[in-house]
Amino acid sequence: MGGPKKVLLLVGSPKGSGSTSEALGSYLLERMGERGIVTEVARVPSSLRTEEERKGLLHAVGSADLLILATPLYADSLPSGVTRLLEIVAAEGGRSPGHGGKSFAALINCGFPEARQCDTAIAICRCFAREAGMEWAGGLALGGGESIGGRPLKEAGGVARNARKALDLAAEALSEGRQVPGEAVSLMARPTVPAWMYTVIGDIGWRLKARRRGTGTRMRDRPYWPDK
Amino acid sequence: MKTVILNGARNEDRWNAVISRLLVEEISSLGHSTDLLTLEGIRIAPCTGCFGCWVKTPGMCVKDDAGRDIAKSALLCDLLVFLTPVTFGGYSSELKKAVDRLIPLLSPFFVKIGREIHHKPRYPRYPPILGVGLMPVPDQEKERIFRTLVERNAVNYHSPFHEAVAIVAGQEETLRATLRAVVARCRGS
Repeated sequence: MGGPKKVLLLVGSPKGSGSTSEALGSYLLERMGERGIVTEVARVPSSLRTEEERKGLLHAVGSADLLILATPLYADSLPSGVTRLLEIVAAEGGRSPGHGGKSFAALINCGFPEARQCDTAIAICRCFAREAGMEWAGGLALGGGESIGGRPLKEAGGVARNARKALDLAAEALSEGRQVPGEAVSLMARPTVPAWMYTVIGDIGWRLKARRRGTGTRMRDRPYWPDK
Repeated sequence: MKTVILNGARNEDRWNAVISRLLVEEISSLGHSTDLLTLEGIRIAPCTGCFGCWVKTPGMCVKDDAGRDIAKSALLCDLLVFLTPVTFGGYSSELKKAVDRLIPLLSPFFVKIGREIHHKPRYPRYPPILGVGLMPVPDQEKERIFRTLVERNAVNYHSPFHEAVAIVAGQEETLRATLRAVVARCRGS
């Protein structure tokens, strides 16, 4: 396949700006923009609220050669809003002019330390590309997304070092119409911090957040249990 | 014993109507009561990943809508069924909207299960999960993804066991046999 002229970044996080998904996707898009490729960003959840917004999003999808989905992992797969978009886009693929010549890549991050927990979501994306008549351009998975915490990757320091390297490689390949290389997949999958440290810091973080909201003693509440 | 069926069908899918009826009749004949929740007709706000359900209103979504009732039903039943058209190997957006809203049932704290980190259970028990996927034509890749997804959900939701079937028209007997085996196992657990 030839290199894309226009890339559309689909941000699947309901948080939109300030999300780790957008931070990862924006970094990739910036690298591709430096290579003269036209780039556009669409935030999926806020683009499906009205018929007009939906049409606008589908127009953006129609005008791009490469779609890159950057999204968090929700319950082992894609968030419901992203799934809805993919359902709509796949249905459009059956109508003229279809999605022939387009490519689709995925960039998934999860809150667990292991990037492999995103494997099912990546497989779903690959399956979507096949069903929509698009070329699969590859998927990148990041574990421990909370350590980036929505910061722009350039400002995220050492924890984002491998992610930046992976996205540099991915940008080069995708810009030239190639699939995301295996080296980029491996680099992105490397733990941002050791798993034990991630879970210790994570547990402390939840306690602090709850304490700030005055719910520190209620974190183990069981509101739906019959003895309540 | 009680079974809750979360039905993720869209646009009055006729085959789904046949299968959901089959599920209700078969489960009833096995002595379970059933609660069939057709999600398309229920207004559920999508999860926004705010984690308010862990730090603001612990154990409950901050959104006071039907998503709360569905989470409660999904916890307190003896068998939870995910019925869905297999969508790129996963669940339909309608079912996914409800599944995403189950996260308050878990604790924010981490626990190691096997070689992976997951969230600790909030409750002492969770129901087994049966995934029933409907496909217009056989598709091995989609079937494999669907089975894996149900398995992954069962690990994350601390289900004592799970089962998944992805069927095409004409395989209703496979579904009946799976259902009978799952209900028998529910009685034994």
